[in-house]
Amino acid sequence: MKTPFALGAFALVAVACVAWTPDATAKPIAFAKGKTVMAEFGGDTMNEFQAFYAPTYWSSVGVGWTQLTSDVDGARTDYVYLRGNLLAHRWNLPGAQANVFVWGGLGNATSDDFAGSELSREAGVQFDYETRRVYASFKSDLQESAHSSHRIDTLQLGWAPYAHDYDTLATWIVVQGRTYTGDIYKGTEGALLLRLFKGGTWVEVGATTDRKLQAMVMFNF
Amino acid sequence: MKTFKTLLFVGLAGLSSFASAKTIEMDVNGLVCAFCAQGITKTMNGFPASDGVFVSLEHRIVAVHLKDGQDIADPTLRKAITDAGYKLVAIRRTDESLAQVKARVGKEKALPEVKHAHPAGHEGMADMPGMKHGG
Repeated sequence: MKTPFALGAFALVAVACVAWTPDATAKPIAFAKGKTVMAEFGGDTMNEFQAFYAPTYWSSVGVGWTQLTSDVDGARTDYVYLRGNLLAHRWNLPGAQANVFVWGGLGNATSDDFAGSELSREAGVQFDYETRRVYASFKSDLQESAHSSHRIDTLQLGWAPYAHDYDTLATWIVVQGRTYTGDIYKGTEGALLLRLFKGGTWVEVGATTDRKLQAMVMFNF
Repeated sequence: MKTFKTLLFVGLAGLSSFASAKTIEMDVNGLVCAFCAQGITKTMNGFPASDGVFVSLEHRIVAVHLKDGQDIADPTLRKAITDAGYKLVAIRRTDESLAQVKARVGKEKALPEVKHAHPAGHEGMADMPGMKHGG
């Protein structure tokens, strides 16, 4: 494999997560003293794995791996990183919640576009608003090293056909638009997703406008 | 002496009703998803006095059933909900069991999705049998 370091770290993280006892979320911080494990397969352009532990409801730390494959020339770039997340602000409204998250981290980048590995840095922000029937989020995530720079912007709008409760299955229909910089994808990659969650388990599956699979699993525990 | 007896009577009556409270019911803002409920359930189950937790996203309540003769002080509850990342709006104590609370809220109409006048929408509940306001 071209990125043994990334895959090795991925395997290490996966083993660590299994040892942790399973569960995960789309927010980088689930709840105080909670653990989040998330894996996403995104339409052949982005694969991602993240695991975080939140000592408080407003902070979490963990590790991640993001693999980007160019839809233009097939070049692949892997980022493996340590990351810290902060809840910058939360609005607890009657029947609704809104959040602003920010994060940053340092790691290692390898790519078909340059030799060896490089120190990488990451920074991002997420805004979200949700009720039990509607959901909107915007996330911007920048990863770069000396010879690579990729920003992924993701907008999601969700609608639930019924309001779920704690002990019932939540069903969401989500429309997603995603743009990439760094020659990963030209234009906006759209996707239609079915999101299901119950308790601490989240499963999301759908297809991009290029008819490629997009899927995500997440556990919170 | 008469005043002392009156105060003693009122104090004991208050103490006895406090001690008989079986369930603490809290109105909480920001409860919109199962993950919110999961975190709060975990927090509330961590109290030694807790004998079970019920969360209703629909009615925005968190109910904690207490072990016999035990209680959790209001400031402790407020801190726990705040530290979990949510906003505590009101606290009530009831002598209902958790099953009775579940059954009661199950019959109540769901609260509107976003309501700004009285956040938790339980204005009239203090007048219901067994309900005592504390928060």
